[in-house]
Amino acid sequence: MKTFDLRVKQLLDGDLSLSDLPPELRAEGEEALRLLAAVDRTPVTLSPALDARVMAVVRQHAKSPALGAWRWLNTPRDLELRLRVRPWTVWAGALAAAAALALLLARAAPAPVPGVQARAGTRDSVLVRFVLYAPGAHRVAVAGTFNQWDRGAALLVPAGTSGVWTTTLALPIGQHQYAFVVDGARWVSDPGAPAVDDGFGRRNSVVAVTAQGAHL
Amino acid sequence: MRTIGLVLTLVLSSTLTGALDAQDVQPRLDGRVSPEVQRAVQRIAADAAAQGLPIDPLVQKAIEGAAKGVPGDRVIAAVRALAGRLGQSMAAVRDGGVSTPGGDVVQGGADALNAGLTGREISDLVRVSGPPQDPTLTLRVAATLAALGVPAKQVLTLLQGLISDGRSQSDLLGLPGQVQTGVAQGATPAQAAAGLARAAGGLPPGRNPDWVPPGQRKPKNPHKP
Repeated sequence: MKTFDLRVKQLLDGDLSLSDLPPELRAEGEEALRLLAAVDRTPVTLSPALDARVMAVVRQHAKSPALGAWRWLNTPRDLELRLRVRPWTVWAGALAAAAALALLLARAAPAPVPGVQARAGTRDSVLVRFVLYAPGAHRVAVAGTFNQWDRGAALLVPAGTSGVWTTTLALPIGQHQYAFVVDGARWVSDPGAPAVDDGFGRRNSVVAVTAQGAHL
Repeated sequence: MRTIGLVLTLVLSSTLTGALDAQDVQPRLDGRVSPEVQRAVQRIAADAAAQGLPIDPLVQKAIEGAAKGVPGDRVIAAVRALAGRLGQSMAAVRDGGVSTPGGDVVQGGADALNAGLTGREISDLVRVSGPPQDPTLTLRVAATLAALGVPAKQVLTLLQGLISDGRSQSDLLGLPGQVQTGVAQGATPAQAAAGLARAAGGLPPGRNPDWVPPGQRKPKNPHKP
């Protein structure tokens, strides 16, 4: 594709005349003008049947009942409504509306409580993944406050032969203490989580489950 | 006369509620703990319920002890110690301004006590955790930080500072993870927490712009090979 000099483009735009171009660009300018003239003068011939086709489509649309109904519905009209009411009905309506509003507001507003209050958490659950590296173990479970410390309630599954055991549990929102049970007898705290004294001389791991996820 | 009647009604209803709550203990312990432990835990739970304390943690502790094969007398001692912490927590939370604490916040306080915080520190944390903060969440974060090894006083200072700065609950929840990251990179829990406190308050005076909190690594310059 040929690239014209910027001044030749200005010539085509009518900003410059051919005589404004330097002598070395005049041939290029003339060529560009020739090309443009050829493009401009290319005759465009329309199909003789075009008018008939366009009008056929317009008539078909005009006959459509759906469009007619829409036009009828959409056309603005003057409407006069005459309402004769007795004064007591207006007052009764106003009182009923006020009573309904008062009832709604009374239901929506929480009871005021003095001082700082603890907020009740929702009872939603959050999925939490437990992972333990226990090579050589035959059975690994996780037991904690979320499953009544049941050693058989939540078994971990070995991830191949790597020694990594894992499971995912839906835990309710709140703080939970837990420990892994290896081979049904050995209680092991989670090395990746903070731990607290369990009151029996061992350590329990701690996980805080919130609506935003689990936090160790 | 009317006042005395009202007080009597309140005391009776509280005792009755406690007794009803304590009755729920038996079916939960059936078949899980020895009869001796069951009887003792029922008594402890009844006393706790009469004081308005949550009894679920007590039942959980008894079940936990039995599941771990702990001898009965040690289970009973642990449940009794937990009831004591719950009572202490209740008092601390009330001192902090929560007139009618729920079970969650009382348990959160008991966990914080178990992790090494004092009753006074719990009151202070509850006091700064007015709306929009949640005292239960603050106490849980405090307990977790203390369990990670951050000294209790530092836990208090860090949380008070962040709450005063208007940090969100998500920011507080992220603290234990950040301390763990610092520890994994070689800092002590105290150093990691100090670094977080400094980072939250901006650069300390005299630090150069390249300073990073202890336990954290300077981010790599992506433009350098």
